[in-house]
Parts: sequence; C-alpha cells; structure tokens
Amino acid sequence: MLKLLWPGLLCTLGEKVLNPLISMDPDALMRLQRLQGKQLAVCLRGIDLRLVLTAQPNGIWLNSHQEAVDCSVETEFSALQQLSDPSQLTRLIRENKLQIDGDLQTLQQFSQFFQQLNPDWQERLSALLGDAVAHKAARAIVALQQGIRNYLQQADQTMQELAQDELRLTPVAAEVQQFSREVSTLAGRTELLQRQLAGLLPQLQASS
Amino acid sequence: MSEQQHSGNQDSTHFGFKTVARDDKVSLVANVFHSVAAKYDVMNDLMSLGIHRLWKRFTIDCSGVRPGQKVLDLAGGTGDLTALFSRRVGPTGQVVLADINESMLNVGKDKLRDLGLVNNISYVQANAEALPFADNSFDIITIAFGLRNVTDKDAALRSMFRVLKPGGRLLVLEFSKPTEAWLSKVYDVYSFKLLPAMGQLVANDRESYQYLAESIRMHPDQETLKQMMEQAGFSETSYHNLTGGIVALHRGYKF
Repeated sequence: MLKLLWPGLLCTLGEKVLNPLISMDPDALMRLQRLQGKQLAVCLRGIDLRLVLTAQPNGIWLNSHQEAVDCSVETEFSALQQLSDPSQLTRLIRENKLQIDGDLQTLQQFSQFFQQLNPDWQERLSALLGDAVAHKAARAIVALQQGIRNYLQQADQTMQELAQDELRLTPVAAEVQQFSREVSTLAGRTELLQRQLAGLLPQLQASS
Repeated sequence: MSEQQHSGNQDSTHFGFKTVARDDKVSLVANVFHSVAAKYDVMNDLMSLGIHRLWKRFTIDCSGVRPGQKVLDLAGGTGDLTALFSRRVGPTGQVVLADINESMLNVGKDKLRDLGLVNNISYVQANAEALPFADNSFDIITIAFGLRNVTDKDAALRSMFRVLKPGGRLLVLEFSKPTEAWLSKVYDVYSFKLLPAMGQLVANDRESYQYLAESIRMHPDQETLKQMMEQAGFSETSYHNLTGGIVALHRGYKF
C-alpha cells in the first residue's frame, strides 16, 4: 500500500541529512555553483530505486524518477566506495560493476564535491556547548575518526596477510601471474598437440 | 463522463452532499477555506498522519521537474508543492503559486517567505476555470487536493490544457476511491466520524471538515477523472493509486 511512497520518504530523510551538512561547510555553497542545475542519477543494482540528485545554489535535492538526466550511473553497492577513486573507474566499467550514461564530467564534479565536503562541526557545536567544550569535542571526534580509519586499514592489511601467508586461502599477486603464465603455456602446448593429432588422423585412416 | 453529467443539471452543482446553485458554490467553498486556512497545515498533518507529504513527494517525482522549468502550482494553498518545486527549478526557473482563495494564498506566501523561498516564486489569485495566463506558458501544472472544489472541472481542465506548453504535463493529486472494500469501510468511519470531530477539536470548525469528507465522496473516481482529462485534450493519461486508492495521482501530457 505504501510501496510507491517509500522512495519519497528516503529522499526526504536524505535531504534532511545532506543539506544541513552542506550548510555547515562554508566553502560548499561556492563549490555548488559549479554544479548548478546539473542532475545525476544513481541506480543501485538489486534495489528498485533510481535516486536523482539535483544541484542548486541552496543545496542538493533528491528525487526518484526515470526521466532523462545529465549523467546516470548504475552500479553495485559493493562498488560504491571505490567510485570516489577516479583511477578505479575504468576497472569497474571493464568488470561490468559500473555503467555510465551521459556526461562523465558531471559524475566527476559530483564525486569531487562529496569528497571535498568538510562540515565545520566545531562551529555548530560551539553554539550549543560553548567554544572550549566544542573544541575539545571536535578534536576528540577527529581523533576517533582517525583511530577508526587506522584500525580498519590495519584490519584489512592483517586479513590480507592472514589469507595469503598464514592460511594460504588466497594467492599473492606473483603467484596468480605465475599460474596464468603456466596456464597460457599449457593452452599453447595443448593447441599444438591438437593440430599434430589432426594432421596424423588422415594418415592413420589411409593406412588402415 | 463530463463534469455536468457527473454533477447533475447545468444550473446546479454539488457542495458536499448538498445540491446548490452553480453560482453559489464558489463563495461556499471560499468560506470553507477562509475558515480553515490558519490551521490548514496542522490539520493536514493530523488527518493524514503526515502521509500527505509523501503523496506530494511522489507528485514531484512524477513531474520529472528540471532546473529552469516554469511550473504552475494551481490551488497551491499553503505552498507545500511550491516549496518542493522552487528548490528544484532553481534561480533559472519559476514557480507560480495560484489559488482562488486569498486567505490560503496569504498563508502560503508567509510560509514560503519564512522558508527563505522568495526569488523564483510569484503569487496569483486565480480561478482554475479561467486561468489568467497566456497559451503554452508552463512546463508543468499541478493541482493538489484542489480539483474537487472547482465548480466546473471540465472548464478547469481545458484551461490547464491551454496554458500548458506542448510536451508539458499536468498532475492532479486528489482524494479518490479506495480499491479495497475493507479499506473503504474503515475510511468511511474515519472520514464521517473522526474527521469532523478532529476539525471541531483542533480548528473549532466541524462543518468544514464534514464538507471535506462529503466532497471527497462526490469527486469523480479514478477512471472518470482519467476520461475527463482525455476529453479536455490530454494524451497518455494514467494514474497511480496511493495508499490503497484513498488518493490518486493522475498524469496527462499535452502533445
């Protein structure tokens, strides 16, 4: 009964989170001018939702529709994080994890905008808690963010090493390359043998 | 089926369940909205449990609005749709908030100014049956919860068709007929018992909310309204039932 309405609810909540964040970044509105009037559609595979972001001088407004936009991106949830790294785009497209229709520059501009978004939490908190407490809280939040980021990087590194060296679950890159070379050599030799057999077959049939 | 066929002979029309002279309906409806204007938004949230905001969001999604477009929010009342459109069309676009009722228009004007939306919105007191705009003026026209109060709906649809640009679209968001029998029964109890009581309690106005419930029942159902839009000239007309058909969004294009 409410199936048609949940995208609207999602867009409302998205705007309620996103636009206050934009207003907390003093430089964001200036950067939005460059995007003014541009529309980017993001479609996540497996979720029946096409989210359209419209950039205007006063914020980014969300909608869900199938109309034409400046740039449309279809991707998987797992690939979302990698979209922020422009060097990964070609690989993602080749692996069919990303499909882009329209103006690539629009996608890059939106991506750049979100990467550069830096809300001034301290300013907002100081109005509520006072300057000193806000400064300490902001420093604690930054330290916590850095700590979490380091911990996740460390955990990722440890997992890779564990899988490759200790448990031998996955091969290292050199092993994959060596294996690929061996497979290519074997394929070549198999093909040669096949040709030789094909040449011998008429002779065998003639002699019998 | 035309509006005249729907509402009876040419000299009379319905005002809720009452039959009144056609010329009297405008002033009767005007009195209702003068009375409810101040509490209109509170009552909308209360009566629909806030779902009217999602119905309006869905309308915006179906409009496919783009930056730079010109939008007419007809019977726009307190400006909910105008606010959503204004942010999306941006400084290069324009939204016209039109309403026949001055009280509603004033409430809308104040609300939108408080939201900081001033640059791309203009206000017009207008009758939907004879819109004071040039032919082919708007990319999108919306009329949300307003059409059922119009005396001559066919004339209003023709007028909207005239001022819409070729390729433009009309969106009619309006109460309609629930699609499930059980929902219809629950909805009847809610509208005729609870709604007037809520109106009395919050807005001190039982009669206006009794009229609201009655006018919804007298409004054409989904298929009839679709046919009326086609008769007015709209193409590719379609509708979506929202919340089990309690509300329907009709869409039609001018080609």
